[in-house]
Amino acid sequence: METYFLPEERFFPFVLRLTEENDVFGQSKRHIRKFRLEAKEPPLFDGFRTVEPMKHFFMQTKEMVAKFGEPLEKEISSQVIIGARRCDLQALKVYDKVFLEGEVVDPFYKERREKTTIISVDCEEPTETCFCNIMGLEPWSEKDSDINLTPIKKGYIVDIITERGNLLFGSSRDWLQTVDENDLDQRAEKRQKAMEMLGKINSEYINIKLEKALETENMKARKGEPMNCVECCACLMICPTCYCYLLYDEPTKERMRVWDACYYPAYARVGGGANPRPDVMERFKNRFACKFEYSPKNHKLFACTGCGRCISGCMAKIDIKRVLSQLVNASSQKEEI
Amino acid sequence: MTMKTPYEVNTTKLISIVDESSTIRTFRLEPKPIEFKAGQFAELAVPGVGEAPFTQSSSQYDNEKMEFTIMKVGRLTSALFNLKPGDTVGVRGPYGKPYPVEKFKGKEVFIVGGGVGFAPLRALFLTLLHKVDDYKKIYIRYGARTPDDIIYKQFIPEWSKLDKVDIKMSVDVGTKDWQGKVGVVTVLLDEIPVSITDSSVIVCGPPIMIKFVTKKLLELGFPGSNIYLSMESNMSCGIGQCNHCRIGELYSCKDGPVFTWDQIKHIKDPFI
Repeated sequence: METYFLPEERFFPFVLRLTEENDVFGQSKRHIRKFRLEAKEPPLFDGFRTVEPMKHFFMQTKEMVAKFGEPLEKEISSQVIIGARRCDLQALKVYDKVFLEGEVVDPFYKERREKTTIISVDCEEPTETCFCNIMGLEPWSEKDSDINLTPIKKGYIVDIITERGNLLFGSSRDWLQTVDENDLDQRAEKRQKAMEMLGKINSEYINIKLEKALETENMKARKGEPMNCVECCACLMICPTCYCYLLYDEPTKERMRVWDACYYPAYARVGGGANPRPDVMERFKNRFACKFEYSPKNHKLFACTGCGRCISGCMAKIDIKRVLSQLVNASSQKEEI
Repeated sequence: MTMKTPYEVNTTKLISIVDESSTIRTFRLEPKPIEFKAGQFAELAVPGVGEAPFTQSSSQYDNEKMEFTIMKVGRLTSALFNLKPGDTVGVRGPYGKPYPVEKFKGKEVFIVGGGVGFAPLRALFLTLLHKVDDYKKIYIRYGARTPDDIIYKQFIPEWSKLDKVDIKMSVDVGTKDWQGKVGVVTVLLDEIPVSITDSSVIVCGPPIMIKFVTKKLLELGFPGSNIYLSMESNMSCGIGQCNHCRIGELYSCKDGPVFTWDQIKHIKDPFI
């Protein structure tokens, strides 16, 4: 890894150069918390993650994946994502496990992953819904993106992590300056401050032992909050790790793949109409089991990165942190009995 | 650029359709679109309508054709029932793990089927018949709702005559002519002709039937590692990604669809 300093006034020209050969996505002033960078608009980093997750850059919400009796013709262009956060990068690890490291590789995901360069940025001011610290993560990344940026006074500390990141600087390389001790001190101070903020936000939950939450039997103890769920599936659509999809065929014989969500009543229903999870509580339990029990068993990873998007998106104000802590408490009570 | 995708089908022709009962038909496809082993499944597609998972009912050793015995239950199966010989269909697969027939060698094989669940068991039975001397004896216990609902009526008398095959059937509701047992399929388990500790038991049928058959087998003392169950679930992608067929942390499509009881017994209420 190489570390440099990029002056503020060079950052936007660097981004403009990227747009010459890539589709570039990032947050902007007009589309705050979304990856919508319009032409000649500087990217903006505003303290914490976007509202929309990054997953649609790798698995589109709806996509033709085959055509009956014909080969599929498809072009996938190269893209640069600016402003990914640690929680987003961690989520990609879950996607990689499923779509790259399973028995069958998804060709669309693979192609997009290979053609995407990710520029991550430190979270300076985690918000109330953030809980990456509970999930064992820090609000910055040192290895899971191609380039990492830390905003400091008058510019950015730039970590060039991968060869792909290195190539991205190409003709802009002259703009990179040597990083000095003062810059690094600023970074350490900012990172410590962000960690402290997260500690404060999650002081109630900081000692959650997630392995206790895995005992999904404890969901029985939680009738109250989950029962408010209206099954809108916002939490699942907005979740950066949820990857369920549905296949269907158009009358035109095109086979489509769309995002799906396990809260939908018909999600697991079989042809004859039998349904393993007809009750919303069953589906709620399944979601928690998927994230905190099955994913660790299958992939050795929690399918939750503590981004808190599901909390922001829930109209019933269901808070995953609170549900988890109640599960753990229910588990402790059971042990005492 | 041309992309090879896991969702592409191999096209083939529907050659003939046999009525097995009022709601069950056997669809014969030629040429054989994919290779498979008994117990695996495939996604069968009707062009422009969709696809659904089915287990082949023909022998894996049949190189000419492939058969599926299917009950009309929903949108896709209704579309299948509207097809005519000569129509094109698509098949992708094979998916899942086959029956571990190697493990059945030298043992009695006890096959328990219910309704259209006899279809995958037929693929297994024909595979076993291919090297019948490898097994001590093959027992089939098959239950249907009425004598009319029994599938493979044309083959059963022939199979019954085979030396190493013993077939008994039951129906939930009998008729005057019915000579077998009457009652749900578990009545066929009142007499167990096989070694309880050292035979392989293969069960396929409606989930409720599998549930009660499993319960009875366990009560009788059959080890969970020798009980093979076909778990019905919504196997959509077939490749362990879409998540619809999950039973606990397992995927019916890639870890199953056949599981031993020991594999799934930790899952609370695994039957639909």
